[in-house]
Amino acid sequence: MASTLLLARDLYKSYRRHKIVIPVLRGLDLDVETGEFLCLVGASGSGKTTLLHVLGTLDRPDSGRILLEGRRIDDVALAERDRLRNRVFGFIFQFYHLLPELNVLENVLMPEMIRSSVLSWWWRRREARRRALALLDRVGLGHRLRHRPRELSGGEMQRAAIARALLSQPRLLLADEPTGNLDARTGSEIVRLLRDLNREEGLTIIMVTHNPEIARLADRCVCMTEGRVEAVSASELPALSS
Amino acid sequence: MYKLLLSWRYLLTRYLALASIVSVMLGVATLVVVNSVMGGFAEKLRDRLRGLQAHVMIDARSADGFANLDYHMQRVREILGDRLEAMSPVIEGFAMVEYRRREYTNFETGSRDDPVNGVITGESPPVVRTVRLLGIDPASRSQTSEFAQFLQNPENRKDPTRCFELRGQAAEHHRRHFLRRFGPTVYAPKPHSFPVSGAEGDGDTPPPPDPVEAPPQLVRPFGAVVGHGIATFRKPDAKSTDTDRDIPIIYPGDEIVITTVSRTQLEGHAGTRGHPRPVSATFVVTDVFKSEMSEIDSNIIYIDLADMQRLRTMENCATSLQLKIRGYEHYTPEQKRQLLAELAQHFDETFFAIASWEQKQGPLLAAIAIERGLLNVLLFLIIAVAGFGILAIFYMIVIEKMRDIGILKALGASNSGVMGIFLTYGLALGLVGAGLGTMLGLVITININEIERGLSALTGNDVFDRSVYYFDKIPINIDPLNILLLNLGALAIAVAASVLPALRAALLHPVQCLRYE
Ligand SMILES: Nc1ncnc2c1ncn2[C@@H]1O[C@H](COP(=O)(O)OP(=O)(O)OP(=O)(O)O)[C@@H](O)[C@H]1O
Ligand SMILES: [Mg+2]
Repeated sequence: MASTLLLARDLYKSYRRHKIVIPVLRGLDLDVETGEFLCLVGASGSGKTTLLHVLGTLDRPDSGRILLEGRRIDDVALAERDRLRNRVFGFIFQFYHLLPELNVLENVLMPEMIRSSVLSWWWRRREARRRALALLDRVGLGHRLRHRPRELSGGEMQRAAIARALLSQPRLLLADEPTGNLDARTGSEIVRLLRDLNREEGLTIIMVTHNPEIARLADRCVCMTEGRVEAVSASELPALSS
Repeated sequence: MYKLLLSWRYLLTRYLALASIVSVMLGVATLVVVNSVMGGFAEKLRDRLRGLQAHVMIDARSADGFANLDYHMQRVREILGDRLEAMSPVIEGFAMVEYRRREYTNFETGSRDDPVNGVITGESPPVVRTVRLLGIDPASRSQTSEFAQFLQNPENRKDPTRCFELRGQAAEHHRRHFLRRFGPTVYAPKPHSFPVSGAEGDGDTPPPPDPVEAPPQLVRPFGAVVGHGIATFRKPDAKSTDTDRDIPIIYPGDEIVITTVSRTQLEGHAGTRGHPRPVSATFVVTDVFKSEMSEIDSNIIYIDLADMQRLRTMENCATSLQLKIRGYEHYTPEQKRQLLAELAQHFDETFFAIASWEQKQGPLLAAIAIERGLLNVLLFLIIAVAGFGILAIFYMIVIEKMRDIGILKALGASNSGVMGIFLTYGLALGLVGAGLGTMLGLVITININEIERGLSALTGNDVFDRSVYYFDKIPINIDPLNILLLNLGALAIAVAASVLPALRAALLHPVQCLRYE
C-alpha cells in the first residue's frame, strides 16, 4: 500500500515582468506516491521547470499548499528550506550543472560538505567518501574520480550529477529533462539507470521529459496544460510530443 | 567546509584576481618599508636628542643667565637629594666665528691638502658665520648627556675633561702653522684685561718678534670644540659612497676668532639701562664634534665654561643647569611632573624655565609621528585602491559564477554560506597579498642600504641625501607589532572589499541563477 509522499494543492505561480503578469501555475493539484516514478510532460513553456522548482522549495508558490508526508513545506523558514533541499530533495538538471573547479568526486561530495562544518567534515569525510565511491561505481563512473567535469562527456556528467543528487539519500529526486542534451542511446541509459534506482531502491522520482519513448518507461505520466496537470496514458504520448 | 574548498579553488584558478594580490602586496610592502625606515629614523633621532640633552633643564629666561651659580647648584642638590645623578652648568649664547681656509702644500708629494707635512701656501679671506656657542664643563657634561662619544679625537673620548686642551697632533699642527707665523701672544690676553670690551685688545697683534721657538705651553690657549658641519663642507656633487665627501676647512690646531656679547653692562643714572657689548677672543680648535645630527653639528661650538665666563664677564653665572636624574627612564609621567614641580618651588617661573627633555623635543618628535601617520594614511589608500580592484574583480566573478551559486543553493547551501565563500576568498587574497607584501617589505628593509647604494650608482645621484642627516646608514627599526597591525589593516580592507560582491551573491535568487545562461 503506497502512501502519499508529496502532495500539492491549488498551486498558483506567476511571473511579473514590467507589469506583464505571466501566469504559469494555475490551481495545480498533484499527488506523488512513495516509490513512484512519475513522468511530467508538456509543451515548452508550459511551466514544468517552474513546478519542479516550487515543489523542491527552490521557489515559493504565490498561493496553495505543498505537503511532504503531511507536513507543510511551502511556507517554512529559509534555513529549513535549505535543509530540505540538502536532505530530502535531489536535483538533476538538463545541463548537468557540475561545479567546474571541482573534480568528479568533490562534486559528488558537495551536499555532504555543505552540511558539515570544517570539524564535522573531518570526522565524517571517510564515511562520506566511501558512500560517494559506491554511488559513482553504481552509476559507472568509478574510474573517473579525479577528472574535471569538462573532461567528461555529457552522459558521464549526467551520471556524476545523479550520483551527487543521491549522496544524501533523498526522499524525492527531481529530474528536469535529464536526457534533453543527450543522444537517444545515452539518454535511455540514463533513464534506465533512474528506473533501476526506482525499482531496486524504491527511490521516488519526478522526471520532466519531451521524449515519449522515455516517458513510457515511467509508472505514470502527467501532462501540463494551462497551468494544471492531468493524467495521460502512455498511448497518448506520441500525440502530445508532436 | 565547501567554503574553504571553493575559495581555495577560486584562488588557484582565477588568475585575474592575482592582479589584486599584487596590488595588495605592493601596498603592504611599501607600508612595511616606510614604517621601518621612518621608525628607524624616529628612534635614532630620539636617541640622539635624548643623548645630547639632559633629563631636566633649568634655563634662565634672561640671556645674561643667573648669578650665584654655586648657591643654585647647592639648592638643586638639596632639593633632589639622592635622585640627582649629575648636574652640569652651561652658558649658551649666539656668536660669530671667523676662520680662514688654508692650503697646505706638500712639495714632496704634490698634495695641496696635507696639513701634517705641508706648509701654508694659500689662505682664504676670513669667513664669518653665526653659531651657537656653548660654554660647558666637560667633566659634568659627559655625565648629564652624551658628549664624549661624539668627539673625534679618541683620546678625548676616553677622557673628555681634557678636550679643550691643546695636545697631540692638534698641538703639533698649531705649533707648526701658527706659532711659527704669529708668535705665542695671539691668544694670551691677561685674564682680566681682555673681556671687558671686544673693541680694543687682541684684534691687532704686533708682528711676531721671533716666531720660531716660543714654547706654547706657557700660556694656556682657549680651546674650542667645533661641530663637524662647521669644520667641514660637503662636496656638492658628492655621492653617498664617496669617502672624501666632507672636505675639512678647519683642522684641530687651527685658530679661529669667536665674537659674542658680554653680559649686559649696567650704566646710566640709576643703573637701569644697559646694553651688551661685543667681545671676542682667539680660540684654538682642539677637537671636532660629530653627533650625526646636522642641526647640532653645523651650528654648535663648545668652549670651556670658565673661558665663556671670562669672555662674557659672567663669573659664577650660568644660563642653564642640566640635570641627570637617577632612574629617570622608569619615572611615570606623574613622577616627572612632581619632580619639575619641586624644582619650580625654588626656581621662580618668572626667571627660570624648567623643562624635561621630552617637553623640549616634544614638537620635533610629534612632527615625525604626524609625518609617519600621514604617510600611513596615504599608503593605506594604495591598499584601498587595491580593495576596489578586488571589489570589481569579485563582482565579475560573482556574475561568472551565477550558475554555480544556483547549484550550491539547490544543493542546500544557505545564503550566509554562499556569502562565506566570497568572504573567505577575499580573506585568502588579502592573506596571500599581505603575506607576500610583508616578506617583500622585510627583504627590502633589511637590504635597504645595499639597495640605496645600487640605486645611487645606477641613477648617478644620491637617493638618500646624507647631508640632511649625517647618518652613515639608513637606520631601520622593524617593529613586529606595527607590521602585524599593517597586515590586519590590509586584511580588513580586502575583506571589506569583498563584502559587497559576497552580499550580492548571497541574495541572488536560486531560480534566477539556475536559469541564467
Ligand atoms: N523569471 C521569469 N520571468 C518571467 N517569466 C518567466 C520567468 N521564468 C519563466 N518564465 C516563464 O514561465 C513560463 C514557464 O517556464 P518554464 O521554464 O517553467 O517552462 P518549461 O515547461 O520548463 O519549458 P521547457 O520545456 O522549455 O523547459 C514560460 O512561459 C517562461 O517564459
Ligand atoms: Mg524547463
